[in-house]
Amino acid sequence: MTRAPTGHAASARLTGVHRRFGPVVALAGADLDVRPGEIHAVLGENGAGKSTLLGVLGGMLRPDAGLLEIGGAPVELRSPRDAWAHGVGLALGRRGIAGAWRLRYARVRAQAGELMRRTGLDVPLDASTERLGVGDRQRVEILKALLRDPPLLALDEPTAVLTPGEVLSLFGLLRDLAGEGRAVILVGHKIDEVLSVADRVTVLRHGRTTLEAARREVDAAALIQAMVGRDVDDPAAVGRRSDGRGSGRTRGQSVASLDAVRLRDATGRVVLDDVDLSVSRGELVGIAGVEGNGQRELAQVLAGRLVPEAGSVRVPEGVGFIPQDRTREGLVADFDLVENVALALHGEAVFANGPFVRWDALRERAEQVRERFDVRSTGVRQRVGTLSGGNQQRLVVGRELERARDLLVAENPTRGLDVAATAFVHAELRRLREAADGPAVVLVSTDLDEVMALSDRVLVMTRGRLVTVDDAQRTREGVGALMLGGRDAVA
Amino acid sequence: MQWLSSRLAGQVIAAVGALLLTAGISAVMLRLGGYDPLTAARALVGGAFGSSNAFLSVTLVRSVPLILTGLAVALAFRAGVWNIGAEGQLYAGAIAAVWVGLSVEGMSPWVAIPGVLLAAGLAGAVWALVPTLMKLHLGVGEVITTILMNFVGIYFAAYVVHGPLQESRGVFPQTDQIAATAQLPALLPGTRLHVGFALALALAMGLAVFLRRTRLGFQVRAVGASSEAARVAGRIDARRVILLSFLGSGVLAGLAGGVEVAGVTRALYEGLSPGWGYTAIAVALLAGLHPGAVVLTGVLFGALEAGAGAMQRDAGIPAVWVIAIEAIIILAVLAMDQLRRREVRRV
Amino acid sequence: MTRPTHTLLVAAAIAFAACGGADDNRGGDAPFRAALLTAGPVSDAGWYAGAYEGLLLLRDSLGAAVSHQQTRTPAEFDEAFFSYASSGYDLIFAHGFEYQDAAIRAGERFPETTFVVSGGGRVSANVVPLVFELEEGSYLAGMLAAGVSESGVVGMVGGVAIPPVEGTFRAFEAGARAVDPAVRILESFTGSWDDVGAAKEAAVAQLSRGADVLIHNVDAASFGVFQAVREARTAGRTAWALGMNRDQNDVAPDVIIGSAVIRIPDAFLEVAEAWRAGELGGRPIFAGQAEDVIDFVLNPALRGQVPPGLVAAIDAARDRIRSGSLTVPRVPFVEGEPGVQ
Repeated sequence: MTRAPTGHAASARLTGVHRRFGPVVALAGADLDVRPGEIHAVLGENGAGKSTLLGVLGGMLRPDAGLLEIGGAPVELRSPRDAWAHGVGLALGRRGIAGAWRLRYARVRAQAGELMRRTGLDVPLDASTERLGVGDRQRVEILKALLRDPPLLALDEPTAVLTPGEVLSLFGLLRDLAGEGRAVILVGHKIDEVLSVADRVTVLRHGRTTLEAARREVDAAALIQAMVGRDVDDPAAVGRRSDGRGSGRTRGQSVASLDAVRLRDATGRVVLDDVDLSVSRGELVGIAGVEGNGQRELAQVLAGRLVPEAGSVRVPEGVGFIPQDRTREGLVADFDLVENVALALHGEAVFANGPFVRWDALRERAEQVRERFDVRSTGVRQRVGTLSGGNQQRLVVGRELERARDLLVAENPTRGLDVAATAFVHAELRRLREAADGPAVVLVSTDLDEVMALSDRVLVMTRGRLVTVDDAQRTREGVGALMLGGRDAVA
Repeated sequence: MQWLSSRLAGQVIAAVGALLLTAGISAVMLRLGGYDPLTAARALVGGAFGSSNAFLSVTLVRSVPLILTGLAVALAFRAGVWNIGAEGQLYAGAIAAVWVGLSVEGMSPWVAIPGVLLAAGLAGAVWALVPTLMKLHLGVGEVITTILMNFVGIYFAAYVVHGPLQESRGVFPQTDQIAATAQLPALLPGTRLHVGFALALALAMGLAVFLRRTRLGFQVRAVGASSEAARVAGRIDARRVILLSFLGSGVLAGLAGGVEVAGVTRALYEGLSPGWGYTAIAVALLAGLHPGAVVLTGVLFGALEAGAGAMQRDAGIPAVWVIAIEAIIILAVLAMDQLRRREVRRV
Repeated sequence: MTRPTHTLLVAAAIAFAACGGADDNRGGDAPFRAALLTAGPVSDAGWYAGAYEGLLLLRDSLGAAVSHQQTRTPAEFDEAFFSYASSGYDLIFAHGFEYQDAAIRAGERFPETTFVVSGGGRVSANVVPLVFELEEGSYLAGMLAAGVSESGVVGMVGGVAIPPVEGTFRAFEAGARAVDPAVRILESFTGSWDDVGAAKEAAVAQLSRGADVLIHNVDAASFGVFQAVREARTAGRTAWALGMNRDQNDVAPDVIIGSAVIRIPDAFLEVAEAWRAGELGGRPIFAGQAEDVIDFVLNPALRGQVPPGLVAAIDAARDRIRSGSLTVPRVPFVEGEPGVQ
């Protein structure tokens, strides 16, 4: 193994890469050509093969076929250490950090502090990563990759959990790195972001490269076309279109309410501070906020998953809950589709026969969910751990709608989803609100556009307090100021 | 059922791999020690399966405590409870069984035998209760507490046979024999195979149905597979599920002790168990924690123990070698199981 | 896996076993088959090693086909008796009291087989306790201990306080007081036959309380006692150990001044011959000095350390025991003995 001299490895070319995972074909002839001094975006739906391609480049996965060149020479990567020796540094997405990891050494601390100032990313340096939320974990992952300062830097969906301000600083830093002659790979699915920062774009679909072009040669429509192969509405555009109703909608009967609710987390910090909220049938209540301000806990209390220390909670019988971390909280990866549907529904009378579970009925229901919500799988007996993220979320949404007779609580329901899946989730939420005798819907999201586009009422969580947004404040800037105010106060 | 059958295939591969690995290492060791591996292998197989006597009266009898403790471990592990305490729970069950068995003299077997088994199961549950409460209320990890409770159980049995339950002559450190009507009758006349084997089969079947068909069984699997998903998506009270499966595990391990006393030894001795509660972990893991498969792996380990005795008797191989080979088997099983898991995770 | 699959597999296994048939090696042309069960390793240079030598003696002098199994748990007692008896063994030596109940059960199931339980307490038509009157040897050991002790303190380290062991200690005390009525005698039990560390600790404790001659009855753990005595000698003290069960003088020739001996092989040979003559069964066999099974032997290498007068006194006592004019204390434990139910 030869160590590539720094600065000479800032390019990579993958040609005709194939990779299967058992029955699942992840890559079927993907190409990628990254040149020094550019920010190269890799776009694609969930399950299109973006992460697999990154895994191949990072030495974590060995391709079944295809050619990999770094710095102009063919290489074979057996491990992430091999890739690192060739100058490839990776920041993974949600599954990035294994086990506990601390930024605790003085030298690293100093550099990390400097980087945090430069990027605007802010993480508690002394917390064990196991205790961090999804957002902070991802921030740590990005910082780790930046700290090592590799000639070729690859980031997997870095913006999924960042605030708008953090995204801007990060992009500024990436721009500087590219200016120094490094190559930056940015994997994502947010078209606006890509168009704002990338020099060149590669689009993957079903494991193949469907488009490779310079930024100036393409527009959003072309990228969407290449990603999904069909015309899908831009979600933001869809949202804007329905925004006419505002808060003038008549509300139905109140189905859930919190009154003076207080809660502290395991470390004793107050996460819910005197929260009052009442939601009614037929309305969609949006709760915006920067992660870590108590909205996770609020969602769980509303869904009946957490019992607060003080205050009264009234929660109805039929509650559906779409948790933010679907792989840890929403699904059991080792269970198949039927068992995961059973997870939510096994307590309902129609699926019980004395102490026994009525598997025949549950299987039928799972078939229905799979069909209605287009969960792409080999059948209802496939392990959900082998489904793509988008299909997992379709399963969760479909399943939770089944039991959301009175209330649906959705927590960042489109995080990490591709364009088509996001549009699907939004459409379902909207359909629910408009259904006669439909449930109340509470949307807790860090995606401000999503909240603004879908909600009848908007509230903001800051430092455990729930702030009502009146019509005058209900602009992107107004709500954003409330959100960021909370963030600053926490930091 | 696709993933199930592929998991089963992996299980079978792991089991066969473990056996081959053991056979290879053992053959080399025996050769180095100056024994003929083929003679040893012939004695081993002959002692386990070579005759109906060997199979019914030795192999299957030996498999009973292994199946029962294997089921205990499988149930606990399925719920994500690391109960390493089957050994102590077994001793607790044995002590209770003897205590009741001694005091039901003259009663009908229809009363005496259920009484003995009930006491054994309850005692096993009581032994599991201490680590359970410490886990649920104090957050103390059950691995350490269950191991410590093993020592308490073993020494408590030693105290009992020297003290309160010592035989009526007061001479030897053992109890009197339990009442004749409390002893388990033979399952097949003329063999040593007692009805405890049928009980073990029935419990394995029952546990399989419980896990696959019942609501509580499904909750056990869900909590074990992902306690977060069970709480958030399943609205399952994980503490209740952990409590019940821990105690159920204790009942099964306690029954192992009671059945052994009522079916085989008829009295309590020090050193009743050669470590069944620990071997049970290998039995359960090799079975992929599936109750039906635990019967098979329990019989397999019973056969190995039976064959080990025959290796001493018929091939003249000293006991220390036999003990070493058994240890290699357990290590090989654990190694293959770990490899299989890693393979599953990669796909 | 489905239920029918299990049933099939179990059925197949049983069928396989049944087809395997009874391929028992019936001992070829050997006149009879003898087996030995021990609860400990035959490498203990003592109680179990003696039994194994006895088994080999039956093979070499009577032509018996022999086999040995070390059992680890009580559950294996029944099984081992069953395996040997059902495959045609005629005479089974179970070398320890713990086998007695299982032997009675096996005796009922296999009336054609004779079971000999060393140190056993229960008797039936084909279950025979073989009682070694080791007291007759440990009495003489007690005489020697009191005679060579400089401190006037001697010690006894036992495994488990069962009657045969307590008997040897009572006889040891009697022998010691016969030589020195003022001797102090220490006694401790470790609770284990194979815990070498515990035996050594007990021995060290007694040495530190002034004892300078130690006798043991802890089987395989006796190495711990010898080691403790050796370390005391290395530290410049006077200290001796006494061997037990088997002539252990060669196990630690520098520290063992004499051994109370059971000639287990001779006893096994006598039992086997009685069995062949049809005279075995229904009553216990007592084996002592008179039968030449029990003796006390001085370590020839250390004989110079023993005053000639003491040697003469020991020899005289041996003669009186053999002739029956001296009865040593004993703790009875066999059914039918006075004081036993």
